[in-house]
Amino acid sequence: MNINIDSEGAFGSAVVILEPGEKFVSEAGAMYRASSNMEIEVESRKKKNEGMWGAFKAGVKSMFAGESFFLSTYRTNDNQSGEVGLAPTHQGEVRKITVGSETWICSGGSYLGSSGSIELDTQYQGLLKGGFSGEGLVFVKASGEGELLVNGFGRISEVEVRDGITIDNGHLIAFTEGLEYTIGKAGGGWISSMMSGEGLVMKFRGNGKIFVQSHDPGRLGGALGALLPPRSD
Amino acid sequence: MKYDIISAPSYALLEMTLNEGESVIVEPGSMAWMDTTVKPKTEMKGGLFSGLKRRMGGESFFLNTYTAEGGSGKIGIAPGYSGDIVVKELNNETIYMERGAYLCHLGNIETSVSWEGFKGAFAEGMLGLRVSGTGLLFFGSYGDVQEVEVNGSYIVDNGYAVAWESSLDYSIERSGRKIRSFLFGDQLICKYRGNGKLWIQTRSPRNLAAWVHPFRMVKSKSD
Repeated sequence: MNINIDSEGAFGSAVVILEPGEKFVSEAGAMYRASSNMEIEVESRKKKNEGMWGAFKAGVKSMFAGESFFLSTYRTNDNQSGEVGLAPTHQGEVRKITVGSETWICSGGSYLGSSGSIELDTQYQGLLKGGFSGEGLVFVKASGEGELLVNGFGRISEVEVRDGITIDNGHLIAFTEGLEYTIGKAGGGWISSMMSGEGLVMKFRGNGKIFVQSHDPGRLGGALGALLPPRSD
Repeated sequence: MKYDIISAPSYALLEMTLNEGESVIVEPGSMAWMDTTVKPKTEMKGGLFSGLKRRMGGESFFLNTYTAEGGSGKIGIAPGYSGDIVVKELNNETIYMERGAYLCHLGNIETSVSWEGFKGAFAEGMLGLRVSGTGLLFFGSYGDVQEVEVNGSYIVDNGYAVAWESSLDYSIERSGRKIRSFLFGDQLICKYRGNGKLWIQTRSPRNLAAWVHPFRMVKSKSD
């Protein structure tokens, strides 16, 4: 498997070259190009032996993650190598994260794709944490060994965390397992915190790595949504 | 004529210097700035019927011709989307294009609507744009543009193909085999066949619009 990140500027995308027998998984709407020998299967996130009910629950969970209900799986069907291109919706970078010695936890909307060897698990954040973090209710945990692709709105930066860090809601992409977070207020008191416009933030404790995005998609959505006529559905 | 594409690939803009008497035909709305020596002229090229056909192809009814008069002149031309610009020299040949990708041209090039039939109803729209002749053609993308040399066949998701050579043909197909795939619009894909060049953009305006949609207020019942 070979992953070429095509642009690190405003419009990042990735082309994944798969050898026979290799598998790659992506968020269902992410594929924009593929060689014609690529077999594309749409599956919901389900754990083994959980059956339809498990699939349904997993689907509902990932819907709350701001992620498509389903994931797509790609493999070639003719014993030849093939390629599949993945692109996010927003302007921004795409990054490759190697999962192995570290397990990564990704905010729902930042997950773009991962190699078939990576195990994905959706983690429900709870209403309080998930509802207020601005990152969605569900995070995607990527463990095992392989490559994980994430997308960011704007520029993606890597931060080494020693002891802790505070991240504004809406800017989180992914963090290493071992870091714990709580939702809290940015400033000293609730009023100054709300007045500052920062509102709620994610307070991380521990040591590890975090990827953050320079812009918060929710703010663009809010700004555009307010300018558009109301919807009826 | 001399040109330079600046700020590519993310915010590409075409900067063109016309010698006296030279002209460029530009998609209305795409002229960003120009010298005072550049004179615009708006016409319904090819008459009413051609204008109507262009209109149906997602392009404008009128064509704007910009000519340098009384000296050379500079003109800046920008597409509606932020993204890249592709230059293609046409030598008595035809390429097809997604509605809205056309930016400008020099020389003897005709743009007209092409009937994509019902297969097109699921793709970019019922009608595409047919561009043929001899000259220099510029078209734009949303996001980066990637050139793919198709030998045999290639798959592009609905909404990402920008332009393709006339030696390629395409059809709309379903990608997944699972029954539930009908739930997803993106499971309709364009399959290109033949040998030729295909240009693909890395972002989809439709996907962005679909993402913004839930941020709209919900209409209250009393409205």
